[in-house]
This record gives sequence, structure tokens and C-alpha cells, in this order.
Amino acid sequence: MDPTDQLLSERIQEYAPRLMESLAESGIMMGFAIVAAIVFGLPLGTLLFLTASGKPMENSWLYQMANIFVNIVRSFPFLLLVIAMQPAIRLLYGRATGDPIAASFPMMLIAIVLYARFVEQSLLDVPRGVIETAQSMGATLPQLVWKFLYVEARSSLIIGFTTAFVSLISYSTIMGVVGGGGIGDFAIRYGYQRYETDVMYVAIIFIIIFVELIQKLGLNLARKIDKR
Amino acid sequence: MITLDQVSKSFQNNSGEFKAIDAVTFTIQDHERFGIIGESGAGKSTLLRFINALETPDEGAVMVDGKNIHQLNKSALRLYQKQVAMIFQEFNLLNNKTVEENIRLPLELHAYPETIPMETVLDFVGLRDKRGQYPKDLSGGQKQRVGIARALITRPKILLCDEPTSALDLGTTKEIVDVLKKAHDTFGMTIVLVTHELEVIKELCTRAAILENGMLTDVIKIEPPKNKKSYSSYRKRALEVLSHGSD
Ligand SMILES: Nc1ncnc2c1ncn2[C@@H]1O[C@H](COP(=O)(O)OP(=O)(O)O)[C@@H](O)[C@H]1O
Ligand SMILES: [Mg+2]
Repeated sequence: MDPTDQLLSERIQEYAPRLMESLAESGIMMGFAIVAAIVFGLPLGTLLFLTASGKPMENSWLYQMANIFVNIVRSFPFLLLVIAMQPAIRLLYGRATGDPIAASFPMMLIAIVLYARFVEQSLLDVPRGVIETAQSMGATLPQLVWKFLYVEARSSLIIGFTTAFVSLISYSTIMGVVGGGGIGDFAIRYGYQRYETDVMYVAIIFIIIFVELIQKLGLNLARKIDKR
Repeated sequence: MITLDQVSKSFQNNSGEFKAIDAVTFTIQDHERFGIIGESGAGKSTLLRFINALETPDEGAVMVDGKNIHQLNKSALRLYQKQVAMIFQEFNLLNNKTVEENIRLPLELHAYPETIPMETVLDFVGLRDKRGQYPKDLSGGQKQRVGIARALITRPKILLCDEPTSALDLGTTKEIVDVLKKAHDTFGMTIVLVTHELEVIKELCTRAAILENGMLTDVIKIEPPKNKKSYSSYRKRALEVLSHGSD
């Protein structure tokens, strides 16, 4: 029987368990990526800012190292990055394909460099006088970062995070190639490989709603805490 | 006592290295109100920033109470910087913090032996009713008063002022000058004030150094204004300049 003859609601019910599973896989990949962005991307972006020429921790060697790392990862076509990372993931995690945790490694790497650049740019937008003021008060480097820079940059840090998040959703749809699963993989498998386009559109609608939601949330939060 | 002894500093610019400060020597006494005047680019801010070690001279020494502050170790330097507060031309408030949070900021960085209670300092600068507001809702004069309150709350021994009125109109300038005078009368800190506005120096300082192209040309004693009105109003100045001024 032609699958499109079935009622959509019936078909959604039929695919619901598999859809839920895909969403959970996406959740795992996104979760790891987000944590990596905050735990490593934020400090890396801050390091890029602080070590640049004329900045409080000026160190051209450190800056160049960080800058080159970010540029290399960012300029890698993502699909090739995923494949190139396979041996390293196998070494670290035991297996490189077939589960969403293994697939999270490239997601984490791209999340780190993506967010690091946003963080660097946000901090560059903080007026010069803020650093001068912190220094005139004898602030330590951690105090400068936490009590001055992040305070003044906070809404743009959140907007950058939102933008990175949305890009990461897009990156995550590729992870099916290494068996990472996820909602993107679900859409491709049913819509493209099995010509069940209605199921694919349902999956895409899920993605769009989710992106919209994240964007709204991020922008609202950023606006709310921006007192400038 | 603050002594600048033969301090020099060079910077790089497009045409190579140039001397922004050239062998400058002078002494500021405790509790003095000392001015540094000169045209834009003369090196006033650089000189001021030597005093709180935001800038390090290439040659010469900055001695405060007998110690070369640029040779202090990290913790001693921080201890010294705690006694030196600074206010700025552009006020430099944190826009995401309220008036009260801005004023309290230095207290979040270090423990100070002696501070002024928040209520007192708010009253001192006349901002009690603005304490919960954000800088974007304040006028320029109010912002500078927050800057002054943020400086005063730690009871600094030295207050550095970098063009504190240069972004303000004449009436507001007078207000800020009065607040600074009152602060000096009340707390007796040493004030070092940098500006190109001669009237502000005349009102506020007892001595001033004149700086030209990084070189100190004179240190002069300032005649106190004869009467309170000597600070010309905008109207008076406008009439001077526009009707019987230079022709
Ligand atoms: N960090 C710096 N790097 C390069 N040049 C500087 C720097 N700081 C100040 N200068 C230059 O030194 C000169 C004196 O500057 P400054 O002390 O700010 O003058 P003023 O405060 O009197 O306007 C100016 O020509 C300025 O451009
Ligand atoms: Mg200046």
C-alpha cells in the first residue's frame, strides 16, 4: 500500500516512537555541544580577547595559537571534520559511530570555536573605558572578566549563544552519516531515502518550531537584561 | 606626597616613536588640589595614569610617600591602588548596573579599612532618589556624580580626575566643581585634576602644572577667585565672545 494513502495522524502515531527517539538523540548531541560551548568556548573567546594586542593579558603567542585553532576548525567543511575526527573519537570513547555520544565530539568542537568567536566579538564591543575603570580600581584579572566585562557584555553574550545554538542544530542534522541519529537524520531517512515526504515535513516542522522558540527565548532574555 | 622625578614615556605612532612625556618633574603635597593643564595630546592623561600605575614610565620614577610605585610587588601595588580613586571624562559607569551597584563596585573588589555608608555617599552627591536607576536614565552631571560617589566611598587618599567636566555644559561643570570642592573640604584627599578648561582649574586648584608637547613648562600658583561670581555664566561668556570679544 502506498504510504501516502494512510491518514497523516495514523502515520504520525506509527512513527511517533521513532520520532521521539530521534529527538532524544538530538537532545544528547545538542546538550553536549552546549555544555562545551559554555565550559570551553566562553573561556577560549575570553582568552582571544584578553591576549590580543593592546589588551590586559597581551600575549601574541597565546593569541596566535588560539586564533589559528579556531580558524582551522571553523574553516573545515563540517562533514569532513566529522570524518577526520573518527580515529580520535575511537581512541577517546571506544567507538566512533552508531551512537549520539560518539557523534557529540565533533559537535562539541564546532560549538567551542563557534561560540568563542561570538564571545570575542561581544567583548570587543565593550567600551574601552570599562577596562580602564577596572584597572584603576586595582581589579584582578578574574574580577575584570567577571565583574566588568561579562556584566557589560551579557546581553550580547546571550545573543551570540542563541545564534551559535541555531547553527548547531543545523550542524547536528549531518550526524546521521556516522550513525549519530537525531531529528535531522530521521527526516533524511524517511523523506529522502524512503520517499515518505509527509514524515519528513513533520520532522522539519519540529526543527523550525524549536529554532523559533530558542531564538525568541534568547532575544527576550537578552533584551530583558540589557540596561544600556 | 607625590613626586614625579624625570619621568619620560614614548609611544609608537605611524611615523615611528615619539616622546609623549619628556623628563617631567614636579611634586604634589598631601591634601593639595593640583591641576595639570595643557592642550589635547599634551600628555596630561598619561601623566595622571602614572600616578595610579595604569601607565609605566620608560624612565624616571613616581614616588608616593617615599616609595617608587612602579617597583612595588603585585600585592603592594594593589594595596596602593586601593588608596587611589579615579574619575573620568566619559564617567565610565557600568551600564548594566544601577547607580547604587555602580557606587558599591570598588567594595566588591577589595576589603577597604574605612568606607562611607551608602546612604551618606548618596546624599553627599545628591542622588538618593536615583539609587535604583540605570545610567542610561541619568544626565551627564548625574553620571559624573555617580563616578564621584564611586570614588569617594572607599575614602581614597588620592583622587585623580581626568577631564571630569569636559563632557558637560557650563552649568553642570559648576555643579561638579562644587561637589569636588565639597569632597575636598570634607575628606581632605589629595586631588590631581587634569583638564584643558582653565576656569575649572582656577576654581578648584591651588597650583597647576602647564604641559606642552609632553614637556613641563611651568608650575604656577593659582590666585583664588576674588568672588564667587568669577566663574562666568554661559550668558556672560556668550556676551564676551560674541559681542565684545575678539573682533
Ligand atoms: N597607549 C598609547 N599608545 C600610543 N600613543 C598614545 C597612547 N596613549 C597616549 N598616546 C599619545 O600620547 C600623546 C599624549 O596623550 P594623552 O596623555 O592622552 O594626552 P592628553 O590627555 O593631554 O590629551 C598623544 O599624542 C596620544 O595620542
Ligand atoms: Mg586626556
